[in-house]
Amino acid sequence: MSLGHDELSSPTPNLFTPPRRRFFTGRRGLAASTISSVLLVAALVSVFFWAPGSASVRYYFFNGHDMWQSFIGHPQTGLLSVGKGFFTNIWMCLVCEVLILILGLGVAWIRVSRSPVLYPFRVLATAYTDVFRGIPLLLVVFMVGFGLPSMQLGFLTTQSPDVYGCMALTITYTAYVAEVFRAGIYSVPNGQILAARSLGLTHATTMRRVTLPQGVRTVIPPLLNDFISLQKDTALVSVLGAIEAARAAQIYASTTFNGSGLVVASLLFLAITIPLTRFTDRLLDRDRSRRLAALA
Amino acid sequence: MRTFRLLLAGLFGASAFTGVTFTSGPAGASSSALATCRTTINAEEYAKGKLTVATDNPVYTPWFVNNKPSNGKGFESALAYAIAATLGISKSNVVWAYEPFDNSYTPGPKKFDFDINEISYTAQRAKAVTFSESYYNVTQSIVTLQGSVVAKKHSPAQLKTYLYGDQIGTTGLAYIYNHIHPTQQPRVYSTLDAAVLALQTGQINAIVVDTPDGQYMATSEVENAKKKADGLQVGQFPSTGEHYGLLFKKGNPLVGCINVALNTLKSNGTLASLTTKWLNIYTSVPVIKP
Repeated sequence: MSLGHDELSSPTPNLFTPPRRRFFTGRRGLAASTISSVLLVAALVSVFFWAPGSASVRYYFFNGHDMWQSFIGHPQTGLLSVGKGFFTNIWMCLVCEVLILILGLGVAWIRVSRSPVLYPFRVLATAYTDVFRGIPLLLVVFMVGFGLPSMQLGFLTTQSPDVYGCMALTITYTAYVAEVFRAGIYSVPNGQILAARSLGLTHATTMRRVTLPQGVRTVIPPLLNDFISLQKDTALVSVLGAIEAARAAQIYASTTFNGSGLVVASLLFLAITIPLTRFTDRLLDRDRSRRLAALA
Repeated sequence: MRTFRLLLAGLFGASAFTGVTFTSGPAGASSSALATCRTTINAEEYAKGKLTVATDNPVYTPWFVNNKPSNGKGFESALAYAIAATLGISKSNVVWAYEPFDNSYTPGPKKFDFDINEISYTAQRAKAVTFSESYYNVTQSIVTLQGSVVAKKHSPAQLKTYLYGDQIGTTGLAYIYNHIHPTQQPRVYSTLDAAVLALQTGQINAIVVDTPDGQYMATSEVENAKKKADGLQVGQFPSTGEHYGLLFKKGNPLVGCINVALNTLKSNGTLASLTTKWLNIYTSVPVIKP
């Protein structure tokens, strides 16, 4: 990113730059950045290898044999596969995300509505976002996971811990996402709404056709941010007894006294979150350049 | 909750260990060894002329009574005095020291001769400290709710069909996998309290936990909405070799004489009668097969 793209392609070299500083631009700039990167990485890696406890850290956390064993698991002896557990994380975050987007938009829509009939719903929606953004997710997971089953309400009380975990994640994240949507809706200039209304569109149609398309586009990066965060928080569902990647890794660690499974679980999470983060960055960049182009 | 930290590795080490314990020590050999110990014991003690015994504070029945280790009541208090008496140490020369449970099995110097505090032998701990032979064999037991189907149907085949829950890294969880072999994946919780909560809210059928903890859980911890005990300790499984041992500083030579005394108490029936007297609530739990 910081290679100095403009300078590389610039037809007229900047003659006012002192010669000493030209080392940092152009082809030699590339060499300089490569050397500094290699040195930095080498320094970090050597700290890892030279630390007094380096050998034991490598044995307990980066042991190839144990990393592979924890990844594939051995269910007969109670060693559950971290890889298989990760599928639980993936389906939980996908199902939850769909529910969260739908419910979050609904809550945001209610909060920005002006109809007097919807007044009690507006109060309810405000109270909901206030309460569930304020309670730690872990507590919500506990309350839903152990509270709902004890209510003895037919099918609501006989679900698996994965389902209760999903409910808790959806409840908490909907509150966050609703606020993100609301911010998006408010980011649309008032003139847009006034123009739509003056064309004869109803309040609802204005919302659907004018406000939401513009507002939602603005908040796609923060929404993806929440999605990444949700993906990681699926690990919290393990407290209800669900076997997901982090819990499977903990079981492996507590049985074999080797924490390599924890590293495997971390790598699996990274395999999803890093591409997502890069994707979010690209969306942000594209959105920014579009807006700048529109201004020009 | 002490034994929960005992893990699979410890289990295998322990079973090999106790296999030797119960077959060794002919009576004649140990009586001459005992005579030697009575004369050499003073030189090996932490405070010369005194037997310094450590335990946690508070301590609980039936291991101790009224949180007073020096009253000779409760299984572990009575056992400590019985060991002292066997080695010819008078009651007044037994001194009690305080040692928190979590500190006990860490490496390093110790301010006592031995610690008696329901500490499970594990291979892992045995690298940092020295353990005596077993003075109590811990069994695993099954705890469920009163009126649960598990209460009536617990043949080995039926036990396989239930949904179990347990705390991560416990001997109970290892027992479920290695001996019960259930058809459904057990639920694994971070704490035992979470497993109890899951049992109470009907998310699991049963918990496997060591017999002393299971007894407490069934009678005091699992309650219904009317504050009545709602738990049921269905039965205990045969011993797998998990046991409590007296804990010494790593390499403390005193362990030799204490083991001689323990074996004497085993062969003359004192240990058995102390177990019957104080631990009847555990030994009376019916034995069932996994």
